[in-house]
Amino acid sequence: MRRLTKLSAVAAVAALALAGCGGSDSEGGSGSGSDKTAASDDVCKSADGDGPKIGLAYDVGGRGDQSFNDSAYAGLEKAVEDFDATCVEGEATDGEAESAREDRLRNMAENGAVAIVGVGFAYSESVNAVAPDFPEVNFAVIDGFDPDEDANDNVAYLGFAEEQGSFLVGVAAAQKSKTGTIGFVGGVNTELIQKFEAGYTAGAKAAKPDIKVEVQYIQESDLSGFGDPAGGKAAATGEFDKGADVVYHAAGGSGSGVFDAAVEAGEGNFAIGVDSDQYLTATDAQKPFILTSMLKRVDTATYDFAKSIDAGKPLVSYTVYDLKADGVGYSTSNKSVISDLTADIDSYKEKIISGEITVPTKP
Amino acid sequence: MSAATVQKRGIVERLTKSWLYIGLAGVALVSFVRIVTDTDDLTGAGTIRAAIIATCPILAAALGGLWAERAGVVNIGLEGQMILGTWGAAFFTYHYGPWVGIAGAALLGLIGGLLHAIATVTFGVDHIVSGVAINLIGAGAATYLAEAIFPDYEGGGPRQLNGLEAPAQITIPGVSDLANTIADKHWFFVSDVASFVQALTTNISTLSLFVFALVIVSAVVLWRTSFGLRLRSCGENPQSAETLGVNVYLYKYVAVLISGALAGIGGGFLALVSSSGFSTGQTGGRGYIGLAAMIFGNWRPGGLLAGALTFGYTDSLRLRDTQSVHALLLLVGIALLAFAAYRAYRGQITGAAVVAVAGAAVLAWFLLTDTVPREFTVMTPYVTTLFVLALGSQRLRMPAADGRPYRRGSAG
Repeated sequence: MRRLTKLSAVAAVAALALAGCGGSDSEGGSGSGSDKTAASDDVCKSADGDGPKIGLAYDVGGRGDQSFNDSAYAGLEKAVEDFDATCVEGEATDGEAESAREDRLRNMAENGAVAIVGVGFAYSESVNAVAPDFPEVNFAVIDGFDPDEDANDNVAYLGFAEEQGSFLVGVAAAQKSKTGTIGFVGGVNTELIQKFEAGYTAGAKAAKPDIKVEVQYIQESDLSGFGDPAGGKAAATGEFDKGADVVYHAAGGSGSGVFDAAVEAGEGNFAIGVDSDQYLTATDAQKPFILTSMLKRVDTATYDFAKSIDAGKPLVSYTVYDLKADGVGYSTSNKSVISDLTADIDSYKEKIISGEITVPTKP
Repeated sequence: MSAATVQKRGIVERLTKSWLYIGLAGVALVSFVRIVTDTDDLTGAGTIRAAIIATCPILAAALGGLWAERAGVVNIGLEGQMILGTWGAAFFTYHYGPWVGIAGAALLGLIGGLLHAIATVTFGVDHIVSGVAINLIGAGAATYLAEAIFPDYEGGGPRQLNGLEAPAQITIPGVSDLANTIADKHWFFVSDVASFVQALTTNISTLSLFVFALVIVSAVVLWRTSFGLRLRSCGENPQSAETLGVNVYLYKYVAVLISGALAGIGGGFLALVSSSGFSTGQTGGRGYIGLAAMIFGNWRPGGLLAGALTFGYTDSLRLRDTQSVHALLLLVGIALLAFAAYRAYRGQITGAAVVAVAGAAVLAWFLLTDTVPREFTVMTPYVTTLFVLALGSQRLRMPAADGRPYRRGSAG
């Protein structure tokens, strides 16, 4: 029996070790060898300037998610180039403990990073806990919020006016729709994703008051809704079956399923991407069906933060990147389907910037 | 000889007849609910097609569970083997097309199964511990392999590989159109059957048909061949099997390998049919749901098919139309009351009363509300299964030696 216990312990340890290899926690550059191919084009492995050292702590998904985290990386890459900076990276794993995030941030600060960006609201708590211990280091949390009353004077919260960008793609969807019905697929029914829904619906109604918007969320609270292409496809197919001919997704990795649903629905049906210009990363089969994407310029926010550090006037407290600041927007890479709508969309954009239209943040 | 044949035919007739009646009554009930609540989506061809797609991965995993547990090995590593399958399908489809991709998914799943077999059969590791390890290894290995290989591929990244070619889809032209016409009339009963036919004859993936065929093949092999009998004897009483000259280790190995391969095929289905690409974490616990569907199905092929269909149907229904979940309440309420009547007829008064109260509560809920809260709709598949398990659990019987360690020569 003892032998069995030992064996099972060995099996469990081996499993954990192997599972650990899977994550690409490349901080400290200890060379786990897990991302050899990716390493060749990772700017943090080659940067050796004498500018500020920037730490980038990714959310679950990490670099290579072709969305949120990659966008932050793009901003970092530009900052490294422009300010001769160096950088360290770290990545969250699914379902990790709060303390793991804190350790990651501490590790970066102790390794000499003077500016640390937590990508995603999940870093709000851990940054709040770590920041007071490193008064010399500046922190930023993308999509973050201050969890308690006393503000840290070395933390910046970089938010986005997602509802404004969603408003614009809502206009595009309504104008493109021939059936009078459009759809929305959210990954998880949280306050953040509801902002997308609210803006989208408002934009669609502004362009066509009698438009019908089908709304569906893949999960209510389980974060797996952001990584379930099969669920995304089922939800979007349901909306296409109900007569929708344009479907907007705010569902992260589940979005590729939404694109597949548009492809299956056939010509005349479209999907709208989110966060980054998804036309550029979509497959050849999906490309003609992607009307536009709601852009959330995480790269701009990351770059701006690095710039403020380099200039010696670090950003603190809340900054909202809205249409005016070019923090959100829409893409026009699929020219043949979007070009006749841009004039109309841009007129709404002007109205939002001038304050003539206020976009709701709750559906 | 002749007596045996007569008896066999008797069994077949009895089974098919009762299944036929239950099926017909079920369709009539669903049709009734559809008309009363005016939710055509309840049996729309689109819903049924989505349900078939949602069912297949779960079904494949459940079949995997069946093979392993019938040979006495609990395989909660199905999830990990499924994850390995998604990677295998992506890799091999990218290079050699979808059917080799499916073989690759099966191969990767089989490797997961091999690990489980070595740990549990050869070394006698606790089945649960080994299964948990397989799940962790599967997730870790797939992530690692994806990061190492996919970024260089077209449409690939460290976490995904999109744009994979799907297995061919079949449409039977005449039947499909006819069924579509009838389904659109929304007649009682006839249209429901028609939309079912339509879903089965319009753009159905050959891989879906393959997975359903696997259920039949598994049933025949496990219950109608001497190989199957020996395999099941290893799950019921391995010591007796050993005394009769069965090589228990070999049978357990074969069963767990097939189990892993089936789970891998389920993963392959997710990557090729449910969506058009691999992405990390896309299984989302479907392996565990497959295991639950197998228990729900009382370790029988027909039962686990019903279990997987229940899961797949309710899950796709709530993803497509939140409103139709409300109509589902009426369906569940009536079904519970019918079940209560059946139990009362059989003389099980207490049980009947409990079920009747549950049924009445669900009916009252249906009548007093207009919508089901969103928070609840997500739970629909789980709650439905929990209900059925709670009601049917008295009759569940797992293989007698399931999960017990067995050492060669322990028969003394």
